Amino acid sequence: MLGYVRLELTRTMRDGGYVIFGIVMPVVMYLVFTNLGLAPGDRHDAAIYTMVSMAAYGALGGAFNNGSGIAEDRAAGWLRQLRLTPLTPAQVVAGKVVTGVVGVVPSIAAVLLAGVLVNHVTLPPQRWLAVVVLLWAGTVPFSLLGLGNGYRLSGQSAAMANIATMLTLAILGGLWVPVENFPSWLRAIAEWTPSNSYAGLSWRIAFGDVPTLRQAVLLSAWLLVFGVYAVYGYRRAGRRA
Amino acid sequence: MTAKSSDAVSLTSATKRFGPVRAVDGLTLAIPRGQTVALLGPNGAGKSTTIALLLGLLPPDSGRAALFGLDPEQAVRQGLVGAMPQEGGLIPRVTVRELLAFVAGTYAAPLPLDRVLALARIGDLRDRRVDRLSGGQAQRVRFAMALCGDPDLIVLDEPTAALDVEARREFWDGMRGLASQGKTILFSTHYLDEADEHADRVVVLGHGQVIADGTSAEIKRAVALTTVSVTADGESAWLATLPGVRHMEIRGGRVHLRSGDPDATVMALARAGAVRGLEVVPAGLEDAFVALTTGKESV
Repeated sequence: MLGYVRLELTRTMRDGGYVIFGIVMPVVMYLVFTNLGLAPGDRHDAAIYTMVSMAAYGALGGAFNNGSGIAEDRAAGWLRQLRLTPLTPAQVVAGKVVTGVVGVVPSIAAVLLAGVLVNHVTLPPQRWLAVVVLLWAGTVPFSLLGLGNGYRLSGQSAAMANIATMLTLAILGGLWVPVENFPSWLRAIAEWTPSNSYAGLSWRIAFGDVPTLRQAVLLSAWLLVFGVYAVYGYRRAGRRA
Repeated sequence: MTAKSSDAVSLTSATKRFGPVRAVDGLTLAIPRGQTVALLGPNGAGKSTTIALLLGLLPPDSGRAALFGLDPEQAVRQGLVGAMPQEGGLIPRVTVRELLAFVAGTYAAPLPLDRVLALARIGDLRDRRVDRLSGGQAQRVRFAMALCGDPDLIVLDEPTAALDVEARREFWDGMRGLASQGKTILFSTHYLDEADEHADRVVVLGHGQVIADGTSAEIKRAVALTTVSVTADGESAWLATLPGVRHMEIRGGRVHLRSGDPDATVMALARAGAVRGLEVVPAGLEDAFVALTTGKESV
């Protein structure tokens, strides 16, 4: 299964779409937002807040891109080819999930590094650790949603659905513009999104607050929903062989 | 272990329906270890579905599929099987070497990569990206994926479809090498000469059933297509009643008798003193195939 993860990661890193949307774009948007005074608060606060937003945005891009890959693989007959190797279906699914989880690391690392090196963000070590872990582990629900789409939909429509979902969640979740700037009705909706809870956990930690129970419960609930969806998509895809 | 004594491939009354169509209809087939078997049939005869059933890619609606006495999925998991589906199986953004190293790594005792590259004749492609290969090159890489685990059973669905004449010859040279190592090989093809030349045994499918099964010589014999012809001399209708003759045609002053027992036909012609300009032409497998699959003759 390690071989499978290695092969998939190699493919991911050579995927121009992933590199642009998952790594380059979030870093560029981060630097533009923070250095053109488009981000809220004073300069250092803005650099921290937007760093978390853009790292979350990049991680979302990576997580959904991985799901689109599944649909592409199915269309290419690759999933069938894998079934003709000694790998078990469980190993293949687990390998793809691991690929998704590892594949978001460069997105998060790139934005955090830009924060440290360009915007001189400083945080106490334990806050750095908590932010990195939460940004990383919090991508699992999105990976599952992306995989569900990838299993359920055909190549082209899976990629479209994943990009649309990713952008909707990013914008509605307040990753581009803070939800504080939203009209109140939109803000009410935004605060139910998984992307808002996901980034919210790290926003609060970055500024020395404890994450709210609501954020943790909400993200866990979405994890459950998307997990069920991914299993449903996988079973459906299996029936079509 | 029971697997040691079992056939490499065994389908027992296997049936698979797609809606109202019976793609495979009560098919029974046993292939002992070490045989090279051609699966021959027109499009829609059920070749690919048969292969999907025996590889465990599709579950049969009824009946049973087994490889080496095991459930197909189990046999695949134990690395006993290498297969090349009719199409697909290649992914973008990896090199030939990376792809083959990965597939080999999933088997417990794979062939060395250099050996696989040599067998599939793709040594010069090892560092090329898989998505930048020509059709024939891609086909050889797909073939290499089926070989890399050094499996006992190799299943190939239309293996030479995208290859030119030279590449086909090279491909069959490689296959002969594998067959001589005792591998069991099952391939489907629509190139009848390939079935004729390269298979120990030819299984002809039609409408999801086995309609003929034997060596290519046996199949040709069974469909009575050896043509015995003599120069016509006066009234010739009686020739149609000679032993073995199933069909007669008079063309260009010659009588063409299609015989199921050419020896007997020739002897009878000789006894009747009718041997003038005798020609005996064994049928090609192609004629047999057409006859079988259009149902004009029965085996």
